[in-house]
Amino acid sequence: MPVHSQSPSPAQARQILASRRIERVVVLGANGTMGYGSAALFTQAVPHVTFLARSREKAEEGLAAAIGQVRSPTVASRASVGDYGELESAIAEADLIFEALTEDAEIKRDMFDRVEAARRDDSIVATVTSGLSIGGLAEGRSESFRQHFAGLHFFNPPNVIVGTELIAGPDTLPEVVDFLEVFGRIRLGREMVRTADTPAFAGNRVGFKVLNESAQLAESLGPLLVDRLVGPYTGRALTPLATVDLVGWDIHRAIVDNVHANTNDEAHDTNALPAYMAQLIERGVLGDKSGGGFFKRDGKTRLALDPASGDYRPTSEIEVPDLGYIDEVAFFHAQGRYAEGMQVFLNAEGDEAALARKVIAGYVSYAFHRVGEVCETIGGIDRIMAMGFNWAPPSVLVDTLTPAGAVQMIEGAGLAVPEALEKAARTGEPTRFFLHPHINVGRFFVAN
Amino acid sequence: MSYGSEVYVLGGYQTDFARNWTKENKHFSALMREAVLGGLERCGIAPEEVQSAHVGNFAAELYCMQGHLGAFFTEVDPAFSGMPTSRHEAACASGSIALLAASAEIEAGRYDLQAVVGIEQMKTVSAAQGGAYLGTAAWYDEEARDIEFPFPKLFGRLGDEYDARYGLNDEYLAEISKINYANAKLNPNAQTRTWYMNKEHALCRTDDNPAVGGRIRIADCSQVTDGAVCVFLASRDYAERYARGMGRKLEEVPRIKGWGHNTARLRFDDKVAESREHRFVLPHVRSTITSAMERAGIPDVSGIDGIETHDCFTTSEYMAIDHFGITEPGESWKAVEEGWLEIDGKHPINPSGGLIGAGHPVGATGVRQLLDAALQVSGEAGDYQVEGAQNFQTLNIGGSGTTSVSFVVGR
Repeated sequence: MPVHSQSPSPAQARQILASRRIERVVVLGANGTMGYGSAALFTQAVPHVTFLARSREKAEEGLAAAIGQVRSPTVASRASVGDYGELESAIAEADLIFEALTEDAEIKRDMFDRVEAARRDDSIVATVTSGLSIGGLAEGRSESFRQHFAGLHFFNPPNVIVGTELIAGPDTLPEVVDFLEVFGRIRLGREMVRTADTPAFAGNRVGFKVLNESAQLAESLGPLLVDRLVGPYTGRALTPLATVDLVGWDIHRAIVDNVHANTNDEAHDTNALPAYMAQLIERGVLGDKSGGGFFKRDGKTRLALDPASGDYRPTSEIEVPDLGYIDEVAFFHAQGRYAEGMQVFLNAEGDEAALARKVIAGYVSYAFHRVGEVCETIGGIDRIMAMGFNWAPPSVLVDTLTPAGAVQMIEGAGLAVPEALEKAARTGEPTRFFLHPHINVGRFFVAN
Repeated sequence: MSYGSEVYVLGGYQTDFARNWTKENKHFSALMREAVLGGLERCGIAPEEVQSAHVGNFAAELYCMQGHLGAFFTEVDPAFSGMPTSRHEAACASGSIALLAASAEIEAGRYDLQAVVGIEQMKTVSAAQGGAYLGTAAWYDEEARDIEFPFPKLFGRLGDEYDARYGLNDEYLAEISKINYANAKLNPNAQTRTWYMNKEHALCRTDDNPAVGGRIRIADCSQVTDGAVCVFLASRDYAERYARGMGRKLEEVPRIKGWGHNTARLRFDDKVAESREHRFVLPHVRSTITSAMERAGIPDVSGIDGIETHDCFTTSEYMAIDHFGITEPGESWKAVEEGWLEIDGKHPINPSGGLIGAGHPVGATGVRQLLDAALQVSGEAGDYQVEGAQNFQTLNIGGSGTTSVSFVVGR
């Protein structure tokens, strides 16, 4: 399946946008986080958005949460609420049906039975699934359904994070995909990335590999040290294990389990959920939403998990080795001298720095090796890592380290050097991997 | 070098105005560095080529405890060591004053290629502290001392003055806000591009849209923004060589066709008292606009394809509409009602989103407006392009209508 990376020009975009009207959107599962977040987003661009949930009360809770999320009571005047008893009548009028039910293929399929029976032939059906197969979800449906079905993967919270994956199934009409891309970009302000219909698509495939590797390392090193090593200075606003806490351990498990079960790539073992996490999840440890995960707060005291015992200790009492090189990197980052900062990282001595380089090298190597599998070019992976995860995209790290530096780092970590990097290091071509005209490269290199 | 040369705009670079450089733990110098290096790269200019540099900035001494900003060029690239630099200040018009100084040096034949940076890092302090710093753009002791958020109050009074003279329905202000926010969604560098806004919200009279100064509510305000913009201005000789090197014709390079620059009395009351018998509420602003048009050889606003104006508040854009001559004085509401201000309207205003939508890093705004005007007449404004734009005009205002500068940029 071709995964186009070329965005339509502004003139083409206007033409495509005019080809179809989206006046009514129905959101299924509008009480869930992705449901109400997406529904709020739609009210910005669409006059009628229907919040549907198991009960009217649930749908009303979703509307209230949507209003809270975007802090505007005006969401209500563009919204109506209802339970699934009203599904058929709402869907018959809808131009876009947006499915945001729980991540369970059976539950989604049951819902699609009803959607298929009630929808107009020209309406678009989109799912916000973060990794289930789009082709699989559409299998056995009518031709019209399959032609108008696509994945529209927003990241949470959708009103803040603009990176969005657009995934066509095997039968999705090209004009439907083109329209969703332009509608997302122009009307919803999204950074649209087309990905292949592969497990966890592009962003979560590449991103959760790094998060899970960090979780694996935390077993012996402890979360505090891991988050310091793979910290903001390596090109991210939020540290990896704090990210897992924010996302939720159950969601993390669902994503890495899906990847681990359905792929078999060079990082297979890195995608295996650590046993201590599985045990703690059984005991109700789900990250921030359960009151704590790798980290939690006790009043003003920040506590960190001891993965071996499941106990927490104040971070101030945990000894961390001297990581002076990070201060040196941050000194350069603070002045906008990112290349110099990353050279310090590249050449820093000690086991800890080597471990940090291994994780970053793994990220770059893994991403470049996924080109052709999850996205047509590295540009798509770059954009979703930048705008979905707020991480320095792989290409930005290569450009900042120089290709030769990146190759040195990857070889030093004992990982396979992607062909494109090996060639660039050898020939000097291309001189720059990251070519996005607007994404500021410097924003990712946070100076601490 | 060419005495009396025309001034060309080779291009430039704007940082993403949504960034918070304090959260990134960055020093002022990083902001400057990214803007200048971004500009050099975008325009394909080697640092050695730049002969002189100007920085427009309002209050880095207050926000960042840092003065002597021109000298920071030497930190960007070793090739800038020794280059003449300077810094310019006129409150929110600082960026345009830097542009005027740089273009005057080109016209005088002193230099052929100039870098101009407009820059402000504002998120270093609390909203209240920042509001007090902005108060120094007014006559601080007379109009701002011990007043919370003095500027919304001053521009609220501009609305009151329109109301008194001609009548003013706040619904038109809400529509102005809505258009700026909507345009910002098309601008990948706009600060508010992901924010939730619509006309109904702008009309909210609840805590979701609190009043900050008389009739001015949050939705009527421009933003507190960290940002920098770098543009390169060149003489005709340099622009000709540059265009040739790029495989383009000189006529394809945007040019500053006209400029206007006036200063009115500092205190808002004094301005209003002076204009009592005048057709325009801020006659010196009107004169800035018309003198830029005259110098450009453009008789009136019908020769202008789009405007980037200083909407520090919705009332200042409301004022700009009749001051540009889009309507008769006092009838700005007609342009709003007719939909003339939208990107595909008869008189598009702020396709970038303006100060309300794109953001307002005070010292950077004038330079951002000029860059946007240059992008528009080059057909390079992306999703916020005004189709077929040949001439664009800017209006940049410091204080409560005190210093005003306007440029006409065209091809």
